[in-house]
Amino acid sequence: MTRPAPRTRRPDGATLIVALILAAVAVVIWRDAARLPQAGGYAGVGPADVPRWIALGLGALSLWSAVEAFRQGRAAREPQNTGPILWIVGGLAAQLALLATAGFSIATGLLFAATARAFGKRNLALTVPLGIAFALMVYLVFAGLLQLALPAGPLERLVWSLLRGAPE
Amino acid sequence: MKQTFFAGLIAAALAVPAMAEDYTIIAPAAPGGGWDQTARTMQEALQAEGISESVQVQNVPGAGGTVGLAQFAANAQGQPDQLIVGGYVMVGAILTNKSPVSLADVTPIARLTGEYEAIVVPVASEIQDIGQLVEMLKADPGAVSWAGGSAGGADHIAVGLIAKAAGVDPTKINYIAFSGGGEALAAILGSQVTAGISSLGEFKAQADAGTLRILAVSSGERIEGVDAPTLKEAGLDVEMQNWRMVAAAPGITDDQKAAITADIERMVQSPTWQDALAARGWADTYLSGADFQTQLDQDIAATQAVLQDIGLVE
Amino acid sequence: MNTFDFLMQGLSVALDPAMLLYALIGVTLGTAVGVLPGIGPALTVALLLPVTYGLDPAGSLIMFAGIYYGGMYGGSTTSILLNTPGESASIVTALEGNKMARAGRGGPALATAAIGSFVAGLVATILLALVAPTVVKLALVFGPRDYFALMVLAFVTVSSAFGDSARKGLISLFVGLSLALVGIDQLTGQARLSFGVPQLLDGVEVTTLAVALFAVGEALFIAGRRSAADDQVIAVKGSVWMTARDWSRSWKPWLRGTAIGFPIGAMPAGGADIATFLSYAAEKRASPHPEEFGHGAIEGVAGPEAANNASAAGTLVPLLTLGLPTTATAAIMLAGFQQFGLQPGPLLFATNPQLVWGLIASLLIANLMLLVLNLPLIGLWVRLLTIPRPWLYAGILVFATLGTIGANPSPVELSMLLIFGVMGYGMRLYGYPIAPVVVGLILGPMAEQQLRRALSISQGDLTTLVASPVAATLLALAALALIVPLILRARGKGAVLSQLASDED
Repeated sequence: MTRPAPRTRRPDGATLIVALILAAVAVVIWRDAARLPQAGGYAGVGPADVPRWIALGLGALSLWSAVEAFRQGRAAREPQNTGPILWIVGGLAAQLALLATAGFSIATGLLFAATARAFGKRNLALTVPLGIAFALMVYLVFAGLLQLALPAGPLERLVWSLLRGAPE
Repeated sequence: MKQTFFAGLIAAALAVPAMAEDYTIIAPAAPGGGWDQTARTMQEALQAEGISESVQVQNVPGAGGTVGLAQFAANAQGQPDQLIVGGYVMVGAILTNKSPVSLADVTPIARLTGEYEAIVVPVASEIQDIGQLVEMLKADPGAVSWAGGSAGGADHIAVGLIAKAAGVDPTKINYIAFSGGGEALAAILGSQVTAGISSLGEFKAQADAGTLRILAVSSGERIEGVDAPTLKEAGLDVEMQNWRMVAAAPGITDDQKAAITADIERMVQSPTWQDALAARGWADTYLSGADFQTQLDQDIAATQAVLQDIGLVE
Repeated sequence: MNTFDFLMQGLSVALDPAMLLYALIGVTLGTAVGVLPGIGPALTVALLLPVTYGLDPAGSLIMFAGIYYGGMYGGSTTSILLNTPGESASIVTALEGNKMARAGRGGPALATAAIGSFVAGLVATILLALVAPTVVKLALVFGPRDYFALMVLAFVTVSSAFGDSARKGLISLFVGLSLALVGIDQLTGQARLSFGVPQLLDGVEVTTLAVALFAVGEALFIAGRRSAADDQVIAVKGSVWMTARDWSRSWKPWLRGTAIGFPIGAMPAGGADIATFLSYAAEKRASPHPEEFGHGAIEGVAGPEAANNASAAGTLVPLLTLGLPTTATAAIMLAGFQQFGLQPGPLLFATNPQLVWGLIASLLIANLMLLVLNLPLIGLWVRLLTIPRPWLYAGILVFATLGTIGANPSPVELSMLLIFGVMGYGMRLYGYPIAPVVVGLILGPMAEQQLRRALSISQGDLTTLVASPVAATLLALAALALIVPLILRARGKGAVLSQLASDED
């Protein structure tokens, strides 16, 4: 690729970071491969060989990226809103943390509300109950009809006992 | 038929996970595999026979069942309503994966069913009997490529045992692991490898149709409907069964263990279970109590020895 | 009786009202689960297996086949509209399909997917009926070395379709290859890159990675945009239906997709995802407008969608003729056969012709049903895009996590969803293509295993890799695919292309 003169003198930070990450991954893979017994057997290619090839490839790509970062210079990028992203990541983390204890509906309801918050629905007093109701509905369909084993919490147990208690 | 189907759907809809279910069976594999099918067949039989009102099956897949086993040993401690399905593959996986949790950390109840291994070649192969194959193995172990299931699994272990019995260095076997799911069978049918080894059920239909030749089976006595000698008849002291079992939680009382054993025994003797075994072509190799424990200990010791011989376990 | 009589007899079995009902339930359920990310046809069939115990064998098998076809079809809808593939076979569809949907051409994209699936399903099912025994003989000729050569060809052709920057495409591919290393090495049982975490021993699940990179990454990316108001997605621009130009650009890709998908599906180590990768690469090469690829080229939807349905039919070839299940769904269908005491295999056509031909006939009917059900629904599906964003993305994330939790409710799996989601966001932000990561994850281990198997069989003799005619031909094709563009570029003919590529960078 032939490029016109660099846009600025400064290297592109993002591309440099990519180069560093690739180098780090290459080192991790290489060290993991070194730990493996070289059991190539009759093939001559053992479990540690392909990881080594991939680590070498990653190393080469890391160098290429570093060179590119200096040659290309800093590129302009659209600024990002960090708030909404943290809301979604937080929602996923909350679901992960609560799933085993609070059950599918409550944990997933929180994810629902957090995602809606990220996209501008700020009223959590409305979105949290709505999300839990929606997730509970999803739970009933999948755990009930399809027998999918979704983690049950207090809410699910309550609903099941109500459904079971009802006359057939 | 239509009505039965809807009745089935509705029954499934109503068979809700209850607050205090009688049994929860952990299938330490993804839906669809052998252990999952075993767990779901148990669910069916236990419910249909009224032994348990509501049975739940939970899939905890991963690493030859060791992920499910570890979770079960940690979470089910002392709970008499928790069961886990497992099998011979787990014995090997515990060793090769260096699993911190072993079958000693749960309470084995009974062996339920099992399959014997079969050694096959394509019909076009020049190898006519197991003796010929063993001679080739002795002459040049590398030239005999074996297709079978995953490394360290029952098939691999069987090849190791055969080599050892034939006086061939087990580290020298040329075993080609396939991801199962018929890939190994395709390689055998396509004459890509010298011989194949897997559960008899995988090969039976092909043998009946005359595309594969069964050289030997790993049972103690000849199997009805299979025109092949046992390995023992061929002079190789190998007998092995790829079995499936059910175990209860660690830390339960002797009374609780006795009650679970009684429930399982009732299930095994029930027509629902027997019909399901017949339909799926699973052999009834039920064994419980002290006999099962002895057999289990023997299998664990033998497996450890052969995995060390093959070089998969230090 | 000849094949035709059998097929007619099969049709009469399948046209029984009860059978039609089973087929209807199957395709409806299949489409519904195909739409959900992470819950594929395999899981659905597995969960329904116990429910069908004690039912009519023909009926429930027909229902399973309906689920299979429906699932293959349903996956494309969310790919196109929401950039969230339902399963690995519809990942490629998202590349062009979602670009079309954003430009208000979601209707034609869904239509070409539906009709392409129908055409492919029809042709492939007829092929299944007529040439299954021959195809299966050819498929068995493929040994490890031939598969390795096929993987090399796939890598070479697919990587040319990776987008604008060679460096970025290769980085994405290598990230996928690195992730593919995680877990137990199939051939020796050694644990690689699992760092003592038992849940990592089975490696990174393709659906988890795909759902995370596409669905979660997309949600984060859209949420993070400051100028969110500017790029409002247009639900419909122009006709919801395909124009004459769309038709003329679609029919060849449908047929090419079928021609690629059916044989690859029939191969014991093939698979629908590989068929879609190859079809996409083929369409990009064959297209008179390669510059449109990456910006919503209809060929890039039509080809892969036809390929994945044709490969679904192809999968039934080894299943019915040899009893060989080559996909997870086929493996579970095999369990379904066995539940009714039927052993699929060389004898099934002889011992149970009614059932086999009934199944084949009902596949034809299920295929028609899918078309009839789905074409009118396109108008409705497209409206999904008009759901306000907060609810739309909240819903997508609920279903994305549901699929992961349902398949494997482990915190490690959910953590992977989160980590790869953030990775997907980063890749979008800095312009790294997503698809090569998934391609690497799928093709990497297959290439490695087949190479090592081939070498093991030959006891380390490297010449084995070109010793079979199939392998030699495939490798020669791969070499051509690599060298020809270089020559063309050197002679200046690629100038226009590289010009375009650097403009987009």
